[in-house]
Amino acid sequence: MEVLNPRSSLLSNYEVLTLLQELESTHLQRSKAAVRIKKEEEAAGAPPTHTNPIPDISENIRTIQVEAIQYLTSDHLPTASQTPNGISQLVKDLSPYDLTKAEKLQIVNLTPTTPVELYVVRPYLACLTTLILMFTLTTKIVEELEDRLGDSMDSILTTVETSLSTKPTTANGTRDRAKQPLFLKDTVGAWDDVDADAIIDDLDFMDHGEGAGIEGDLDVEDD
Amino acid sequence: MFSLSIIKDTVAVQPSQFGTPADEAIIAEINKKYANRVLHDIGLCITVFDLSQVGEGKVRYGDGCLWYKVVFRMVVFRPFTSEVILAKVKSSDEDGIRLTMGFFDDMYIPAVYLPQPSAFDPNERAHFWLPDSEASTSQQLLDSPVAERMYIDQGEVLRVRVEAEDFYDDEPGPPKMAEGVKVLREPKRAPYNIICSIAEQGLGPVAWWSNAQQVEEDDDAMDQG
Repeated sequence: MEVLNPRSSLLSNYEVLTLLQELESTHLQRSKAAVRIKKEEEAAGAPPTHTNPIPDISENIRTIQVEAIQYLTSDHLPTASQTPNGISQLVKDLSPYDLTKAEKLQIVNLTPTTPVELYVVRPYLACLTTLILMFTLTTKIVEELEDRLGDSMDSILTTVETSLSTKPTTANGTRDRAKQPLFLKDTVGAWDDVDADAIIDDLDFMDHGEGAGIEGDLDVEDD
Repeated sequence: MFSLSIIKDTVAVQPSQFGTPADEAIIAEINKKYANRVLHDIGLCITVFDLSQVGEGKVRYGDGCLWYKVVFRMVVFRPFTSEVILAKVKSSDEDGIRLTMGFFDDMYIPAVYLPQPSAFDPNERAHFWLPDSEASTSQQLLDSPVAERMYIDQGEVLRVRVEAEDFYDDEPGPPKMAEGVKVLREPKRAPYNIICSIAEQGLGPVAWWSNAQQVEEDDDAMDQG
């Protein structure tokens, strides 16, 4: 193993959630299809074949998937109510405020809607506001500046809120439609492909699985 | 909080997986190896994001597997220093608070990073904060009226700032023998720990700041002034 780049780019919570949910739904579809095919075969009176036609999903990936989805969809995080359009609009709207990349990412992830929450993300912006507030007690000149900074804080908050308010929740349903026919074909193919005794006798499987499997994998994926 | 790491590795696809498309089999194989594991100085691996390069599968002498040289992108959990994240209180003790995020729970708030003045209440098994109090010793703090204390209870959602991270790569090594008796090994350290802080305005239980918005703003002004 070799790490080429430990941090090539940052991901927002929403991106991670979408990826995980996509994996989750394909997994669900697969296991459902596998059960269905098994039932059909049983109904047709065929002898029970092997148990696992899909690439086995290991325990560790399932654990982290489920737990991470749980965390990202919990109600103290705004991730579940975000949309791709809302986020890209939000990032665009944030560009005039001269924020760093990390600050923008945190605004997207945490969606601060109150000054305190924004203060946490951007202490120095808020510090400036308070500092200038102190100055204004003695000098009048900086008042305008204070107003401007106060405004920018408020407008960031409104920007964030508008990005959240548009929340069509249909995004989840449309994603996997394209994948479905493809995988159904694959699963069926896998069933036809492998012999009944293959799973019982590993050596046997290797013998005649080798040639056919490699051919199928390397040329076209039409097994 | 999450980032992408580019990793290069050689993976073996078992003959039993030759029926599935190569890319799916490779991703499943990588996930089996990496997901939910900590890579030293990289972070906690979540799942494969995508494959960027895959070489041709080769058969080696000795097994029937196809070996692929793969360059892939991995979703990794590794919050950067000073990032603000939300986490739940898992447990509390005299030394501090342990937090959990569901998929990751080696996050700690040491007592020094609690808002001051604060103390640990052994009856409630929870830390509490006494805002605007003159008391400094834990004795004085524990004498305070319970109604004034702001407890950080178990299960509460905290907004925390990441202060530091520690990676430990403890190799098991050979079993230590002392005069023929097997010495008990020290308890294992978690491979990846995150040290967090809530000693700042706006950090701490989310409920503190959303309920007492108005009160807090006054406090804020007082603290700064």
